[in-house]
Amino acid sequence: MIRYLRLYRQFLSFSFSKSLEYRLDFWFRIIMDCIFYVVEIAFFMVIYQHTEILGEWNFDQTLVFVCGFLLVDAIHMTVFSNNLWWLPIYVNKGDLDYYLVRPVSSLFFLSLRDFAANSFLNLVIASGLLGWSLMRYPEPIPTTNLLWYLFLLLNGALLHYTLQMFFLIPVIWLHSNRGLTNAFFSTTKLGERPDKIYPKWTRRILLFVFPLLLMAAIPARVLFEGPSLELVALTLGISAVFFLLMVSFWNFALRHYSSASS
Amino acid sequence: MIEVKNLRKVFRIHQKPPGLLASIRSLFHRQYVDKVAVAGADFSVGEGEIVGMIGANGAGKTTLVKMLSGIVHPTSGEARVLGYNPWEKHNDLRRQISLIMGQKAQLWWDLPGADCFELLREIYQIPRPEYESNLKRLTEMLQVEDELNTQIRRLSLGERMKMELIAALLHSPRVVYLDEPTIGLDITTQKAVRDFLLSYRQDHAPAMILTSHYMEDIERLCERIIIIREGELVYDGNLQRVIHEYAPYKQLTVHLNRAETAAVDKDYLDRIGEVMEEQAGTIVLRIPRNQVTSAAAEILRKFSVQDLSIADPEISEIIELIMGGKEKPQT
Repeated sequence: MIRYLRLYRQFLSFSFSKSLEYRLDFWFRIIMDCIFYVVEIAFFMVIYQHTEILGEWNFDQTLVFVCGFLLVDAIHMTVFSNNLWWLPIYVNKGDLDYYLVRPVSSLFFLSLRDFAANSFLNLVIASGLLGWSLMRYPEPIPTTNLLWYLFLLLNGALLHYTLQMFFLIPVIWLHSNRGLTNAFFSTTKLGERPDKIYPKWTRRILLFVFPLLLMAAIPARVLFEGPSLELVALTLGISAVFFLLMVSFWNFALRHYSSASS
Repeated sequence: MIEVKNLRKVFRIHQKPPGLLASIRSLFHRQYVDKVAVAGADFSVGEGEIVGMIGANGAGKTTLVKMLSGIVHPTSGEARVLGYNPWEKHNDLRRQISLIMGQKAQLWWDLPGADCFELLREIYQIPRPEYESNLKRLTEMLQVEDELNTQIRRLSLGERMKMELIAALLHSPRVVYLDEPTIGLDITTQKAVRDFLLSYRQDHAPAMILTSHYMEDIERLCERIIIIREGELVYDGNLQRVIHEYAPYKQLTVHLNRAETAAVDKDYLDRIGEVMEEQAGTIVLRIPRNQVTSAAAEILRKFSVQDLSIADPEISEIIELIMGGKEKPQT
């Protein structure tokens, strides 16, 4: 474990020195992500001009939820997204080969090697937005609720990565996964909405089959309603099961990896 | 150190006839063919041995190397590398092997060599003193000490390949797979790489498998070769012995003065051996090994010879013949 932490420290150091070289890209990413944040928040502001309650939540609650989701997204963009973007290219060009001969977990190496240091400022902005939404929340928030909430948001970022990997791994057989990636990003939108707006069966599917609601909506519910054993166990249990399934799927896929001819 | 038994790899490949209609049809119904990349390979490689793997493009060399390094799973058969099954991906094994592919970079493009090596030190858990001394020795041998802090993408192809070699050998692997390590390099760098590999072998005695299209790589580095033809191992043995086994003839080159050349009877030459070349006073004959001495004596007796030499055919010529389908002659 300590070895992997030391490795990750190296990844961080190299990623920072690398990304600061591309100054224009550095600023461009920050501007693009800020636009995304504004659009997401403005979307709900518009909706709440027509209603007071959406899926049992008022505007203040929804704002906290949206900012929580933005933080999950920023963590994903900073920690995982560059790496996942490269994965299909590595598979098709055979560059995956070198990752498979190293004495470290190939999944760890491929998923975390490139820390998007140029998205790091977005992480700070998203954290600031969440802090702001919590500060303006009119009800008192118990510290336990807050700590559980932040922990479950981190879990949400890991779950986001896990779910995306399910859509990426088939590239080992399909060689082109643009369709699957688009499908993933389209369906992820469902996790950007309060959980109670969905009908019973849709909500169940989004909790147990394709658990997008566990990324930000259920953590927000833990924040507002308190950390019930049922909600926490559901979130962590399902996330763990999906993570283990994803690791098994990865190992299974590697058995079918044919590399690329030289 | 490497044991391979009946190793086989079959790829299932989608076949698509040309044209738009065929593309649309292939959305609903696809035709596949099985391509045998490696058809039951059996061999072993010992400590300190460099085995040259030779074959035409697509013969199965790289697939074999990729199976032995655990990247590609075989369809059937067995392999043990340092006592491990390579597909089980034991970290203990991966710490002791290395793979260099001349056509694929393992170093990180935007980082200088020194940073890449530092990351590899962490990955392979090389103790700091050992790392420092290995890095110093390897950079000195390859003469790239001054390039360590230059980003990889700013290096020339030759310098990059030297950095790749350092990256592959920093952890002192006991098994090294080299897939066309000199491809695209200029003659001086090719020589430097070969000298370096020989010196590395002398110091560390690893088992090495080398694939290359350059015969000079093979001749300089390998005493033993394996020739692969369409996935099948058609020769496994000493590099020099391949000449005796597949070419039971020698080349006799005779230099005559021009006037005498005109008088040489063509039928007479055909009786002695196969005429390979006849021009400007030079005649090259291919003669069975057991008749070459008597043939030379007869020519010396019959003509006024300015010079005469007897030589084995070029190894590259023999290997080309074997790769092209020549079978071992019956003796």
